[in-house]
Amino acid sequence: MVSEIWTEKYRPSTFKDLVGQNDIIKRIESLTNSLNIPHLLFAGPAGTGKSTLALIIVKELFQENWKENYLELNASDERGINVVREKVKNFARTKSIGNVSFKIIFLDEADALTPEAQQALRRTMENYSSTCRFILSCNYSSKIIDPIQSRCALFRFRLLEKKDIEKVISKIVTRENLTITPEAIEMIYEGSEGDCRRCINLLQSTSSVSPSITTELVSTILSDAKPKDIKIVLDYAVSGDFQKAREKLLDVMLKESISGQDVVKAIQKEIWNLPVEPEIKVKLTEKTGEAEFRIVEGSDPFIQLQALLASFVLAGRGK
Amino acid sequence: MQWTEKYRPKFYGEVRGQNLAVEKIREFAKHKGGLKKAILLYGPPGTGKTTLAYVAANEINAEIFELNASDLRNKDKLNEILKPAIEQKSLTKSNKIILIDEVDGISAVDRGGLNQLISLIDSTKYPIIITANDIWNKKFSSLRKKCELIQLKEIDYKTIKDTLILILRKEKNFVENDILTNISVKAKGDLRAAINDLQIIAGMEGSEGILDERNKETDIFSALRLIFKGKPTNDTLKIFDSVNMNTDEIILWIEENIPNEYEGEALAKAYDLLSKVDIFKGRIYKQQYWRFLLYERIFLSYGISSSKKEVKNLGFTSYKKPDRILKIWLNNQRTAKKKTIAKKYAQYVHVGEKRALKEFPLIKSIIISNPLIQKELKLTEEEINYLSN
Repeated sequence: MVSEIWTEKYRPSTFKDLVGQNDIIKRIESLTNSLNIPHLLFAGPAGTGKSTLALIIVKELFQENWKENYLELNASDERGINVVREKVKNFARTKSIGNVSFKIIFLDEADALTPEAQQALRRTMENYSSTCRFILSCNYSSKIIDPIQSRCALFRFRLLEKKDIEKVISKIVTRENLTITPEAIEMIYEGSEGDCRRCINLLQSTSSVSPSITTELVSTILSDAKPKDIKIVLDYAVSGDFQKAREKLLDVMLKESISGQDVVKAIQKEIWNLPVEPEIKVKLTEKTGEAEFRIVEGSDPFIQLQALLASFVLAGRGK
Repeated sequence: MQWTEKYRPKFYGEVRGQNLAVEKIREFAKHKGGLKKAILLYGPPGTGKTTLAYVAANEINAEIFELNASDLRNKDKLNEILKPAIEQKSLTKSNKIILIDEVDGISAVDRGGLNQLISLIDSTKYPIIITANDIWNKKFSSLRKKCELIQLKEIDYKTIKDTLILILRKEKNFVENDILTNISVKAKGDLRAAINDLQIIAGMEGSEGILDERNKETDIFSALRLIFKGKPTNDTLKIFDSVNMNTDEIILWIEENIPNEYEGEALAKAYDLLSKVDIFKGRIYKQQYWRFLLYERIFLSYGISSSKKEVKNLGFTSYKKPDRILKIWLNNQRTAKKKTIAKKYAQYVHVGEKRALKEFPLIKSIIISNPLIQKELKLTEEEINYLSN
């Protein structure tokens, strides 16, 4: 059955369908053809083809048996390494089906595991190395401990270039009988920040409103998807009403389920629209960067964000 | 007397919520010298491991010889204590059961102890019952092979509640139904904890219970007043000693009330310190280095107090109870549907749930626009309703 969700419907299913990452594809393809792959580590931003490439490898290797020989786990969802270990164990216990001697486990967002959990994972990788190959994906390879890195072949995925994204968009536009202006393509590319999945989601979301896609349409969808309420929070803070700013912030974070880091990201962008002196904008950016650092270091993002808001109150008074 | 002791079951029929384990241990105790000479009862605290051992002994009129983690030191000690016990007959009773309680308390220091125990199992004349919370540690692998394994599950809250009601009836005491439910759920399968809680609550006259909660609040109120309105002195450092709350709770109270007292520079300074408190908290979690707690407490008391240049607001301030945790909880209840939808979507399109939640507005508009997608994702009626509202 063909999926109605475009990120699935248009997910490349062969090496030659993939856009971007040409060097990686070449090397992976020859590894796959030899029917023997090492453990792989895919590092790179979201929506650049890591999961897709893993799926293609599996389909090429196992052909129609791929579902029996493939396990996909997401490290940020599984509650602890024990869950991972348990699932891996159960999966690895039985032999692979077909003429490839191993199965494949794809562990997405492996950098979400703590260093301790990664140590445990490393043991698991070793214990089952005869029956299983691991493909790990992560955003930053620096968050993967060295012993794991040294056991994997590392591939760095880059953000998709504009021409690649354009290619993806025009393909879908033709197949779905849509029309789109060049400016709208540009805007979707900007809004997707090189993330192909987000780009396709944006396209599908806009097309559900109308089949002729214009910049106006894209910009409404984009502003809907952005945590626009962050601007309101900052307006309260700069005007000196800390209490209101604080309340609104909690409200937004809970309702939209956005993380502390996402809020910082949005705040950083909003600074340039604030009615304050240039030197204060620089100062606020510095504070924002510090807050982002502290969120990573600390335990409660909301406290860090309140501290940041207090700086915006001072900024509103020209300090 | 502690109710957990007073109402500890003496016969199989009195053991609650562990029917399967009771059957198994009854079999084991009946034919002495069956297939295995020892059984290993394992399960979370308060599920009846030790109790079952005593019940088994009582039912066959056996004497119990008990060793627990504090006795189990090393090989020599075991030989000295346990060896005679597994060879000599009971003086007072016709039968004997050896109970080795909390075997997972054997630490690395007790090296050799575990192996000695295993070899004693081979030579024992009497059945051995061993209890443990978690037996899946590698160091127990050979012990597991020697023993018959019996798992004790967490006791479900209904059984816990029924047991509490039974005890209250015998005590001729009364506790409100809501509170009983609360205790039973909170116990998370630990019957002993539930009975202990019950005894404490039943022992309080209605008003005293509320009084206690009130005392707690007066403590934090006066501490907050001294911090926010007073000058920092060395006494300020000790201010939370008399407050019956843990540091994390205090952090929330401070966080909630800074804007009630401070503004401008003082506000920024106080929150900056609170941010540093949180950083230390993060470091404690990551490194398990608890000494950092000291810095948390200093910043929370003296630090916050010193954030102001002068006291402007000497009048009465009514401090607010922190409600962020409650808001988060309520929100989670409200967005439970959103999470289940995100989960279905995430699995279907090979992304993480967190990522799906983050992009939810986009995803939502895509799902709403196309009933075929709703079908594809196998969304329930309620989930679809949630999306369209």
